[in-house]
Amino acid sequence: MRAWFATLGVVAQIAFRNLFASRLKTIIVGGIIFFGGLLVVAGNSLLDSLVASMSRSVIGSVAGHIQVYNAKSKDPLEVMGRMMMGDPDISQLDDFAQVRASLLKVPNVKSVVPMGISGALVTSGNTIDLALEKLRNAVYARRDAKTEADKLRAEAQVQSEKGHVRQIVAVLQGDLKNAKSVLDEHAIDKDDADAVTRAASDKFWQDFDKDPLESLEFLENRIASQAADADLLFLNYVGTDFQAFQKSFDRMKIVEGTTVPPGKRGFLFAKNVYEEQVKLKAARRMDKIREGTESQGEKIASDPDLQRMVRENVSQVREILLQLDAAKTNDFRTKLRRELGSQESDVGKLLAAFFQTTDQNFRERYDFFYKELAPSLELYRVRIGDTLTIKAFTRSGYVQSVNVPVYGTFEFQGLEKSTLAGALNLMDLVSFRELYGFMTGEKLAEIKALQKAAGAREINRDNAEAELFGSAPAPDKGEDKAPAGRKIEATTTPGVAPVMHDLGESLGGKLEREEARSRVFPADEVQRGVVLNAAVILKDPKKIRETMAAIEAQGKADGLALKAIDWQTAAGLIGQFINVIRMVLYIAILIIFLIALVIINNALVMATLERVREIGTLRAIGAQRRFILTMLVIESLVVGAIFGGLGAGLGALLVKFIGKIGIPAKSDVWFFFFSGPRLHPFIGTSNIIAAFIIVLLVSAFSSFYPAWIAMRVTPRQAMQEDE
Amino acid sequence: MKAIVSVKNAVKNYSLGAVEVPALRGVTLDVVEGDFLAIAGPSGSGKTTLLNLIGCVDTPTSGTVEVAGKDTRQLSERELTNLRLHTIGFIFQSFNLVSVLTVFQNIELPLLLQRELTGPERAQRVMTLLDKVGIRDYATHRPSELSGGQRQRVAIARALVTRPQLVLADEPTANLDSVTGGHILDIMRDLNKSERTTFIFSTHDQRVMQHAHAVVRLADGKFVDRVSPAQAAAAPLGAPV
Repeated sequence: MRAWFATLGVVAQIAFRNLFASRLKTIIVGGIIFFGGLLVVAGNSLLDSLVASMSRSVIGSVAGHIQVYNAKSKDPLEVMGRMMMGDPDISQLDDFAQVRASLLKVPNVKSVVPMGISGALVTSGNTIDLALEKLRNAVYARRDAKTEADKLRAEAQVQSEKGHVRQIVAVLQGDLKNAKSVLDEHAIDKDDADAVTRAASDKFWQDFDKDPLESLEFLENRIASQAADADLLFLNYVGTDFQAFQKSFDRMKIVEGTTVPPGKRGFLFAKNVYEEQVKLKAARRMDKIREGTESQGEKIASDPDLQRMVRENVSQVREILLQLDAAKTNDFRTKLRRELGSQESDVGKLLAAFFQTTDQNFRERYDFFYKELAPSLELYRVRIGDTLTIKAFTRSGYVQSVNVPVYGTFEFQGLEKSTLAGALNLMDLVSFRELYGFMTGEKLAEIKALQKAAGAREINRDNAEAELFGSAPAPDKGEDKAPAGRKIEATTTPGVAPVMHDLGESLGGKLEREEARSRVFPADEVQRGVVLNAAVILKDPKKIRETMAAIEAQGKADGLALKAIDWQTAAGLIGQFINVIRMVLYIAILIIFLIALVIINNALVMATLERVREIGTLRAIGAQRRFILTMLVIESLVVGAIFGGLGAGLGALLVKFIGKIGIPAKSDVWFFFFSGPRLHPFIGTSNIIAAFIIVLLVSAFSSFYPAWIAMRVTPRQAMQEDE
Repeated sequence: MKAIVSVKNAVKNYSLGAVEVPALRGVTLDVVEGDFLAIAGPSGSGKTTLLNLIGCVDTPTSGTVEVAGKDTRQLSERELTNLRLHTIGFIFQSFNLVSVLTVFQNIELPLLLQRELTGPERAQRVMTLLDKVGIRDYATHRPSELSGGQRQRVAIARALVTRPQLVLADEPTANLDSVTGGHILDIMRDLNKSERTTFIFSTHDQRVMQHAHAVVRLADGKFVDRVSPAQAAAAPLGAPV
């Protein structure tokens, strides 16, 4: 055994000395291996850090460690990054309380948050609607004024509001003129055009006070509809239990307003959505230009994105003009003239000139905008405290609308700038269930009451025919034989409420929704009802696989068909993104090592051919083929180990160094992936080990062919003379 | 005396592409233990081929070669290697030292391959031989730092370090000047006497043949005669004996 070690020693020694003797070859081969080792360690560490930080983003913002949903669902659950507008076909979990109880039996489960994710169109009421409502109120106030002073005040109010509406109509008329210049005459509805022309005429406004209500009706029916287009929001929301959500996702914090109190209907805007979609676009663009120039160090002069935003601000002053009544128009004119040193009287042109910002004047204009102009503007179309009317298509296709008060905005710490983490707004579960088309306790009670009042009897769909037409099916006598005075209602898909509201809005419907808005729901109802999925937070996140299996097993034991998916799967496309990067990295590594393999192999073949005589001599004096093989493989392994080790070491140092400074997130997407403004990569020991093993394997592999050549060298070749 | 090498009617053909080139055309030869035998003949006469067959580096196309009582054609590649390792020492025309190892390590190498001796035993064996070939002071030198004669001394020491029964030397002095070559042959001769090691060396140099007990002469792959060095000198090949 000792002699065996001695042999190995001599083999190693020959190997070492050979490496040293052919330094150039060793350095070339070693250099490639060095680079490979570095890439494996640095690349994998970066990627692992990215996965870790992204997982923090995904887990911390909405997914939790594990998402649980009904195993019978047709589509996979995706809580983030959904590309399609429609909802995936997820079967409901009938009783969240039962699911929760089952999940909490699994030892590693810390908390469970009920969820349902969907999206809806929201009408926030547009500018003209608000202006008209104010005008109408002013008209009523004038009509009902008791004292002379009241009358005067109301009159002034009416005139001011009239000025605002007239301003809006003037803007619409401008739009119409623009449209005429680009569109075919027939493409413009003549009635609409006529209506605008009429509303813009002096005569209309002179006659307004003769019959204000009639004029108002004309404006509401014919003009308001034409200005409505830009005021639709598409909001994605998570129906959830606010308290459980806040407790489980501790990075969530309220920015403005308050959280929704238990048992109340309510809506929390994601701060990002609130800024991006609800804020006045011009103001939002000013914010973004400031962010671009100040935080990212870009220049308006050179950055096309910033230039685009400036252009849009210049060309889209309409949005601001619509908000200006006569007094504000005057105010803006005076201020802008002073600021710009201009004699222009058209406020639209003044605003356009004002928004023509450059790197030199931007900061001044920005401050002026927020100090002088913004206070007179509605910066947000929806304010905290407003009530949103959310219209959604339920699963059965009818439109459901619910009024939900906006309580505030929220964001996730560290993910403030990420549009991905901030894409989902929060809504109470009760409203969510209604919008999704689930039967809520409230609804069920209402239906029961209605049925009772109407004397209706519930029958099953399967024997509806028998109920309707008597016990035996009689197709030929298929006339209405239903007994008079007996209202029959067939239950539709279980859990899905039948059509309760039609599309049209009636006063009754409005009142009913108003009443529903303010009702307080018992905590029990929030807990007991239907949900689509549930986020599970774990005590030990490392045991995610085992816990997923345990959850599914526990579900089975409790008679629930539960499917558990990890956060990465739940993150859908975003989760896939990591796999894509990983794949790219692996392919890059594979290619580099394939090239390395070829180059190393080539170098070793050359080296072997140069050493034929030496190998032949060794064979002649009694070295077995195995000895030669061992010698060459050791040579490769030594190169692999030394240079690969150095590469891995340097890679680790590099990662450590980068980890100290951090990689800055360039755009909002990266904020999400980095889970904050900077990614601080860390080194995984497993990566270093993996790099080392890969490098050694590649070295060993690349020495096989040269070793095979060497093994075929015969001792006779030691005898051959070169002469 | 016992024959350590017994070659009977050995034929060796090499194939060069499709053509079979005969290198040995039936040679018969016995070498007894303790012999100091020269194989002589002009270039292409088959000296090296015969040495290769005897050295178990090659096996005959037909006929038999027995080394230390073993028929080399019956042995596997592995067994042939073992036979070389334990029974035969080689001295090459170009010395064939491992350039990256020191003199000491070069000599020690066969012992390491044998895996029989401990480190101190090996060291002792190597140092004794270094003494015998007179290059003790160069133990830690690399072959590239030595002269041709010194290198061949190292090669001799390496060939003898395993105490082989048989040492084969293919033109051991061909790359050396005559004085150095003479010294090398003296050393070989001394070792032949003191260790009772059988030496077979090939040469085409008359002066070198003078050191041998006997000279086996080959021509065109055929055995010509076995003569004394004096006879070989008196009647060079090509001239009538």
